Amino acid sequence: MATSRSDPSSLRKDGPPFPRLLVANRGEIAVRIIRACRDLGIESVATYSDADADALHTRMADRAERIGPASAAESYLSIDAVMAAAARSGAAAIHPGYGFLSENADFARAVEDAGLVFVGPPPETLESLGDKLAARRAVSAAGVPIVPGLLVPLPSDGDGSLSQIDLGEVAFPAMLKAAAGGGGRGMRQVADRAGLEAALPGAGREALAAFGDGTLYLERLISPARHVEVQLLGDRHGNLAILGERECSVQRRHQKLVEESPSPAVSPGLRAELAESARLVAGTVAFHSAATVEFLVDVDGAHYFLEMNTRLQVEHGVTELVTGLDLVAWQIRVAAGEHLSESVMASTPLGHAIEARVYAEDPHRRFAPVSGTVTAWRMPDGPGIRVDAGITANTPLPVEYDPLLAKVMVHAEDRPAAVARLRRALGETAIGGVQTDLSFLRWLVDEPAFVTGAYDTGLIPDEWGDGPTLTDEERSLAGEAAWQARARSAPEPSASARQGEPGAESAWQQVARREAVGRRRPG
Amino acid sequence: MSNYKLSIDGSPVEPAAGWALTWLDAEAGLARLSNGSHAEVCLIEGSGTDWVVTLRGRRIPVAVRTWRERVLDDAESASRRHDGPIEVRATLPGLVVAIVVQEGDQVSSGATLLTIEAMKMQNEVRAPQAGRVVAIAVVAGQAVAAGAPLLRIE
Repeated sequence: MATSRSDPSSLRKDGPPFPRLLVANRGEIAVRIIRACRDLGIESVATYSDADADALHTRMADRAERIGPASAAESYLSIDAVMAAAARSGAAAIHPGYGFLSENADFARAVEDAGLVFVGPPPETLESLGDKLAARRAVSAAGVPIVPGLLVPLPSDGDGSLSQIDLGEVAFPAMLKAAAGGGGRGMRQVADRAGLEAALPGAGREALAAFGDGTLYLERLISPARHVEVQLLGDRHGNLAILGERECSVQRRHQKLVEESPSPAVSPGLRAELAESARLVAGTVAFHSAATVEFLVDVDGAHYFLEMNTRLQVEHGVTELVTGLDLVAWQIRVAAGEHLSESVMASTPLGHAIEARVYAEDPHRRFAPVSGTVTAWRMPDGPGIRVDAGITANTPLPVEYDPLLAKVMVHAEDRPAAVARLRRALGETAIGGVQTDLSFLRWLVDEPAFVTGAYDTGLIPDEWGDGPTLTDEERSLAGEAAWQARARSAPEPSASARQGEPGAESAWQQVARREAVGRRRPG
Repeated sequence: MSNYKLSIDGSPVEPAAGWALTWLDAEAGLARLSNGSHAEVCLIEGSGTDWVVTLRGRRIPVAVRTWRERVLDDAESASRRHDGPIEVRATLPGLVVAIVVQEGDQVSSGATLLTIEAMKMQNEVRAPQAGRVVAIAVVAGQAVAAGAPLLRIE
């Protein structure tokens, strides 16, 4: 982190918080946690499925435990397999990362029952927040505005019983959501009551498959809207640090692609309101560790509570860049019972940070995930740039898991400088073998709505779609690069030579051959 | 100047003249294209006729073919499209300089049928599949456009 500020309290005097910690995750976040362990003097234990036997996180940890076959359900999502690995390794604590088991109350309870420390909130907190409807009721009772809508579930079979439901203050169009989870799954925008009835069965099935619970509810659609979230860090002694907000409105499929801090849409007044609402939300649960309170902000600057996630977020790095704090290290330290330091409690953000997520997805085909092997891998470097990556060159991508490859983060003194730095960073980035969303990201940093900061969650569907068609200039440049590469590659036998026709080598093959020979000469 | 015919998604492409290619990491395929005042870093992967250039983050498949490869490819794809009689068409504009076969001839797959001169190069049109030449639509000395029917094989 080229521009991070020092955090004196991180210079530890009393030895590591835990002697050994098991990382119950994979990819870039497992690498991130292993690094935090190393900074804290903790031995790290990676867990890996058969698909990840040679993965970066497996090779990087002090030791690694196999937890099962490639299928996530039998490895990274298997409480039994992860607990067995913890027992074998002698770890004292488990960090779940994000996704997988990170918000699974049964897992947190199993960790505690085994006498180990779960790096995250108590199981009861995960239980109460896991039910989004219960959370809506509790948060609303605490005086925080919630998106107008239902506080009770909809019948998910979509039969006539829907007509008996009083949709109350929900006006159409509306958002159908899963009560048991987020991440865009089970989520549908519905235009009217008929659309709602049509969408219920599919959304219910999707939610059931993703979360094991098909319960759905309905909220008013806030549009246009910006997605803004507040980072919290709490210890076991009642201290709560509010570490500013992140703007997360660049989304596809209701999932984030680019995040920044601070939000260009948040005024000092709104920032204070968001902080106060986040504090009230946190007060509805017994909470310690890192958490995020997500809000929608409408065009009038009104904010509405969406959900609280009591885990590390993918985008925690932008907050780390502007605060200079190590959130992962602090999660581990507060899990061990440490108090948040004065420097954390008094932390003020400096400058502007942006994160661009690099996914193995084709942004020209609705961001569909792609499979294959990453061949070349060139990440950006230099002032103000941080890369959290989960892979290296020549890595096959397992189809079983999330296609996030890396997070390219930049930090600069203000937003225009950060956007310029991100433009440079993406220009230095090159990935071979598979299509990634880099083409979208490179478009984004020149898109006026993003450059000015005046964008909302409609940016990708409204302005990108499947992206612009190739320009004549791009086609010509690609053609030029390709033929020059062929001409310089090792000369192939000409078609006529293969067929035994002597003397038919073409002029350009001779040129290519001469050039290939010439390249071998010194100088 | 390229002696290759370039196409992207089946459409011909004119190369961008005046851009020099420098390998940054030849093994990885990382290269720099520069026209003297502006430079683009790109990634080039492939071999033979099939290449993929990753430019500005986007993978662009480029077919880089000699005249001969292009004619053979097109003939082959033409034969894949038809089960019965197939029409052999000109894949590039040029002058028919020699017709090797006559109507009624049995030809084997890959046999030379006629020669078309284009851009001062002789290009042999080969039979995409074995069969009997049932009709010849052109005569020697005739100029043909790309896509013009040349002869029919059953």
